[in-house]
Amino acid sequence: MEAKKTKAGDWRSYQRVLLPPVKDLHKLDVYENNEGYKALREVLTTAKWDPTSVTNEVKKSGLKGRGGAGFPTGLKWSFMPPVDPNIPRFLCCNGDESEPGTFKDRQLMEYNPHLVFEGMLIASYAMSIKTGYLYIRGEFADWITLMEEELEKAYAKGYVGKNIMGSDFSCDIVIHKGAGAYICGEESSLMSSLEGQRAYPRVKPPFPAQKGVWGYPTTINNVETLACAPLIINKGGEWFSKIGAPSHPGPVLYGISGHVNRPGVFEYPTGMLITDLIDEVAGGMRGGKKLKALIPGGSSTPILRADMIEGVTMDADSLRDAGSMMGTSGMLIMDEDVDIVSWLRRITHFYHHETCGQCTPCREGTGWLENIVTRLDEGNGQLRDLDILLDLCTQMEGRTVCALADAAAWPVRYTIDRFRSEFEAKCSTDSVPGGGVLETA
Amino acid sequence: MGDFIKHPFVDMPDRNPEQVIPNDSLMFTSEEKTQIQTWISRYPTADGAVMRGLWLAQEKFGFLPPEVIKLVAEEIGIPYANAYGVATFYTQYFKEKKGKHVLDICTCFSCQLCGGYDMLHYVEEKLGVHSGETTEDGMFTIQEAECLGACGSAPMLQITNGVFVHNLNKDKIDALLDALREGNVPAFTSVTLPQDEDDLGGNRRTDVTSVESYIVPPVSETLS
Ligand SMILES: Cc1cc2nc3c(=O)[nH]c(=O)nc-3n(C[C@H](O)[C@H](O)[C@H](O)COP(=O)(O)O)c2cc1C
Ligand code: SF4
Ligand code: FES
Repeated sequence: MEAKKTKAGDWRSYQRVLLPPVKDLHKLDVYENNEGYKALREVLTTAKWDPTSVTNEVKKSGLKGRGGAGFPTGLKWSFMPPVDPNIPRFLCCNGDESEPGTFKDRQLMEYNPHLVFEGMLIASYAMSIKTGYLYIRGEFADWITLMEEELEKAYAKGYVGKNIMGSDFSCDIVIHKGAGAYICGEESSLMSSLEGQRAYPRVKPPFPAQKGVWGYPTTINNVETLACAPLIINKGGEWFSKIGAPSHPGPVLYGISGHVNRPGVFEYPTGMLITDLIDEVAGGMRGGKKLKALIPGGSSTPILRADMIEGVTMDADSLRDAGSMMGTSGMLIMDEDVDIVSWLRRITHFYHHETCGQCTPCREGTGWLENIVTRLDEGNGQLRDLDILLDLCTQMEGRTVCALADAAAWPVRYTIDRFRSEFEAKCSTDSVPGGGVLETA
Repeated sequence: MGDFIKHPFVDMPDRNPEQVIPNDSLMFTSEEKTQIQTWISRYPTADGAVMRGLWLAQEKFGFLPPEVIKLVAEEIGIPYANAYGVATFYTQYFKEKKGKHVLDICTCFSCQLCGGYDMLHYVEEKLGVHSGETTEDGMFTIQEAECLGACGSAPMLQITNGVFVHNLNKDKIDALLDALREGNVPAFTSVTLPQDEDDLGGNRRTDVTSVESYIVPPVSETLS
C-alpha cells in the first residue's frame, strides 16, 4: 500500500522504543542487556552531563507531558527553585491513570518498569531531587506488587538508593498505593493524598515547584512522560524531536478502545492520522459498521464526529484546530449504533461520582448534569433542558479549584453542540409547548 | 415534585456504631508494626503512611469499622479524625462488611459500549442481588465500578481490589462464579500488546501463566 504522507512519517516501519519487542524486558537482567540504566550511568559518570544540561536536553527534545495537559516537560523541570541544601525537594510520578478510556500507563509499568524507574532517577538528577514518589492507583494492586519486586532488585544492584553507581547522587524511590479516587490524578490532589490527607486539590498558585508536597518544591510528571527521559539521554533530544509531529514530538502510547476489531495499546509516533489509527492500526471498525464519533484522549476531551476527522492527526495543534485535545491519547471509538445521550449519561455519572465536593459549582453541578442528562435519556426531558445544561456548564467552567469541573462540563457542552439533534429527538413531546417548568426538589 | 430529579445527597455515618471487632483481636502483630514503621520512614511525616496502614488493616480485618481506623491512627501516631477522613475519602476502603468476594464490574464508558451493563445485569440476575448488595450467604458483593484502566479488554471486572478479569462474557462469568465459590481466585492475567502479537508472536512475559489477547469487543445490548 502506498504510504500517505503524514506527520508520523513512515509509521508502518516504526521501531518501538518505549515498549521495544524484547521478551521479558520487565526483568532487570534483560533490561540491563538492552541498554538498561545506560542513560543513568552516562548522566552520573560522564563529565558531559550536569543537571542543567540534562534539563536542556529534555527541552531540546520538545517532550510534552503525556498526563493530559501536554505541558513542555523540560520547561516544567526548570521551574524548580535553586537548590537549597536545607530544603528537601520531591518528584512525583503520576501513575494514577483513572481518566476513562486511558490504560497505557498500566501496560507500560507491566512491560517496562525499569524504564519508568530510570526516567524518575534522571529527572531527579536533573532537578537535584533525593526522593521520588511513584503514585499508582490502588486498583492496580497486581502491578504495584510487580513494580515493588522490580524496584527491590534495582535497589540491590545499586541503581536506586545511596551513591548510585559510585557517584555522589543518592535518590530513593517510594511506591505509594492509592485507594480508588479519580481526583488523585490531579497533581495537587495527588500531593494531598501522599501527605496522608483527604485528597482535596489545592488552589494554584502557589504551584508545586514553589510549594508542593509537605510544602517543599515538587515536580509532577506522568509515567509515560518520565519513561521518555532515558531515551532522550541515550539518543539525544534532537533524535526525539524528529519523531512524529514537530510541535508535539516523540513516541506515544495510543490506547484504543471501543468498537474496533483490534483494541489495545499501540506505540507509534505522535501525529498519526486518526483514520490510520482506526482503519489500520486498530484493524478497522467492528462488524464493518460506520464510525459515528470518537474521543481522542480520555473522557474529558471533546468528542469528534466522524465528519470532523478528515486529515486530523494526533497532536495538540491538529486536534485543537479540529475542536478537541490530545489529552491522554486514550481513544474511544464509537460506531453508528451508539446512543450518544445514554453514553453521555454514563460520563456525567462518572464525574458526579468522582467530584471531591470542595467547590460548590463542581459538587452541585456534576449532580445536576447527571440528573438532567438522565431525564433526557429516559425521554422525560424538555427542549429547554439543553439550554439549562449549557448554562450549567458555563457556571462550572473555570470557577473551581481544579480542572475536574471543566473536565465534567466539556463532554456535556461539546456532545450537545455536536449531536444536538439526537438530544432533541429524545426530548418529551407531550409537554407544554416551548418546554415545561423545571420542578425542583 | 418530579420523582426523577434526585438531589445529590450524602449519607451520614452512624455516630456511635457498635464495635464489631472484639478488643482481644483488635491489634497488630509485631511484624505488622514493623512493616508500618518501615512505611512511616519513607515519608517526611508519619501521615504519609496512613494509606498503607489502612490497606494493611483492611487485608487483616476485611473492612474498616471505626475501631480499626482508630487502631491504625494510633499505630501511626496521627489523630483519629485524620485517619477517618482518609478512610472515608477513597472507594476502595470498605467502610462496611462486604461479601467474601467483591466483584467490581466496570460499566464506565468504554466498558458500557462493549457490554459492561450486560455483564453487570447478568451477574445481578445470577446472584439475585443488585449492585451495591451482598448475597445472603455472604459470598459475593456486586459493585458498579468506574473505569479501572483496562478499557482495551472491555468489558472487565476486578475481584476484591485484586485480580482483573478481562474480556468478559457470560460463560466466563459462570465459570468465574463457580471457581470463586470453591475458593479459587483466578491468577493474574497479562494482556498482550497487539504489536507484540505481530513482533513476538504473543505475549512478551514468560513468567505469567495466564495470558489473554485483545479481542473484538462484544456488542452491548443495553447502555444503562
Ligand atoms: C481531574 C484530573 C485528573 C487527572 N488525572 C491524571 C492521571 O490520572 N494521570 C496523570 O498522569 N495525569 C492526570 N492529570 C494531569 C495532572 O494534573 C498533571 O497535569 C500531570 O500528571 C502532569 O504530568 P505531565 O506534565 O507529565 O503530563 C489529571 C488532571 C486533572 C485535572
Ligand atoms: S473542581 Fe471539583 S474535584 Fe476539583 S477541587 Fe473543586 S470540587 Fe473538587
Ligand atoms: S471503561 Fe472499563 S476499564 Fe476503562
